[in-house]
Amino acid sequence: MPQTLRVIYSAFRLAMLHWMADPQWVIPNVIAPFVFTFVALTLFKEASGPFGLYAVLGGGMMGMWGNTLYSSGFAIEFEKWQGTLEEVVAAPSNLLHVIAGRSVSNALFGLTNMVAILLIASLVFRVPLGVANPILFTLSMVLTLLSVSALGLIFASAFVLTRSAQVFTNGLEFPIYVVSGSMFPVALLPFWVHPAAYILGPTWGIDAIRIAGGQANASLTFWLDVVGQENAFLAFWLDVGVMLLITLAYVAIATFLFKKVETKARRDGTLVEA
Amino acid sequence: MVAVLELSSQQGQATSSDKAIVAEHLCKVFNVTKGFLRRKKTQVVAVKDVSFEVNYGELFGLVGPNGAGKTTTIKMLTTMLIQTSGKATVLGYDVQKDVTKVRERIGIVLGGERGLYTRVNAIDNMRYFADLYGVPVNIRDKRIKELLQFMGLWDRARDRVETYSKGMKQRLHLARGLINDPNIIFMDEPTIGLDPEIAKETRNMIRELVEKGKTVLLTTHYMFEADELCKRVAIIRNGEIVALDSPSGLKKYVMDTSVVEIEGFGITEKEVAQFKGVTDVLAVSADLSENKQVLKIQTPKGSEIISEVQEILKNSRIYDLKIKEPTLEDAYLRLVEGSVK
Repeated sequence: MPQTLRVIYSAFRLAMLHWMADPQWVIPNVIAPFVFTFVALTLFKEASGPFGLYAVLGGGMMGMWGNTLYSSGFAIEFEKWQGTLEEVVAAPSNLLHVIAGRSVSNALFGLTNMVAILLIASLVFRVPLGVANPILFTLSMVLTLLSVSALGLIFASAFVLTRSAQVFTNGLEFPIYVVSGSMFPVALLPFWVHPAAYILGPTWGIDAIRIAGGQANASLTFWLDVVGQENAFLAFWLDVGVMLLITLAYVAIATFLFKKVETKARRDGTLVEA
Repeated sequence: MVAVLELSSQQGQATSSDKAIVAEHLCKVFNVTKGFLRRKKTQVVAVKDVSFEVNYGELFGLVGPNGAGKTTTIKMLTTMLIQTSGKATVLGYDVQKDVTKVRERIGIVLGGERGLYTRVNAIDNMRYFADLYGVPVNIRDKRIKELLQFMGLWDRARDRVETYSKGMKQRLHLARGLINDPNIIFMDEPTIGLDPEIAKETRNMIRELVEKGKTVLLTTHYMFEADELCKRVAIIRNGEIVALDSPSGLKKYVMDTSVVEIEGFGITEKEVAQFKGVTDVLAVSADLSENKQVLKIQTPKGSEIISEVQEILKNSRIYDLKIKEPTLEDAYLRLVEGSVK
């Protein structure tokens, strides 16, 4: 296995071991989604159209993004609390790969979050969740999770320098959630918000998920509006393509930032501050 | 010592450098910003000018009071901090330019209970760092087992680290620091907070590593530890090396003096301060925290000072008074107090 993958896997494995050692993960991954779904379904109860999936995915995305953002920030803070950040930085492997491994583990937990939402909506609230194309639906969900993780990586780099990542994670959770159109489609948001929405990978991922779910509305979905409802398959891949390009850009930005931030932390001596 | 650790001390050397570590005029200044609206920048000099060399296979000690610059120096040498000026090489590699090469070849052991993943077991801690250091997979598990056996932790290797005692955690730190079979091991106060028996055990392990050809740079607060272990000791004060010699060489700095050691009760800080004003008293140290207080006075006057001691301590109880030969600790005290030129 190449060393980069080995480091990512090892960090992923260690994060999973920590998750398993700490049963509190049940709270953000099962109980919180239950509440999100309940709130979302209540909000959309009177709405007509394909809002069942919007409500459920909105709640799912909220939980997933919150989980990833919190965990990305926590990845650095956790190392600081344990007193291991210096030792990890002093190892010859790249800190970005270590945090990437943790982010992937967070993404996986984000996925359990989403699955929990779907199950709760279907079994407890009896929401009809007919998914048009289950394979593309799953694929777009996994890719969206990776995009969310990559976005989390950018924030994680900044958290190397902060004394308390929690302040930032609390502040960033709702803006990204709203701007990415997780619960309310971007088309319904004010026009000036659109540029910010379209540079977010998850915005395109959510559109792809909705198209694969077969409940996307052309007037509320960018590519579907451009290529037409009859070309939904093309619109799906255009969404996925744009998301992947943005995700790659996130990884490139995170790589650059991590290098800069690590050098700054080594110059200013901020690796141990907790 | 386990087979996987039997490396030549010269292995991994980059150049023809005949020194394991070379520090030349290392300086580290931190910029500190205070205030919110009116931000005020100040500079804190942690290390002013530090130069020394460490030979291959040597156990070199860096001692000094809190805030003297020991840890900052070690962090610059281990690439965790970037120096403001000066130059340092480890195994011939520049610590600022050849960061990865230095990191691959060194081990770091920090003191204290932190620095471990306490929610997982010792094997998982070791395995994680083995992966970060790129230890070949075919020898990783064997090495982890041998290191944990060497440190006497194998029987508890599958227990969570949070259930370990301080001593066990310190041994795990040592094992972790050896996971990449380093040429040089940097140890920052490895016996801090340990009870005497465990500290002795840790010192024996350090000694064993050096016997096997490893180079060790050790920082410590404990002079007897430096005296017992180190071939050479550098004393650092206010970010500068004030003396560098063998323990016996350093003791020569205070050969002209005797140490009057008083054990008593009821000795106050005020009385200790009074001794500093007595003619020919070169250094005074006191441990007043315990029931049996200990006061040490360095003076060339020897027993002639007894009458003055009795006068100053007339309101305290004296249990014992001895005139002793100076130790490395006494030399250290004189050097850090600045009374030796």
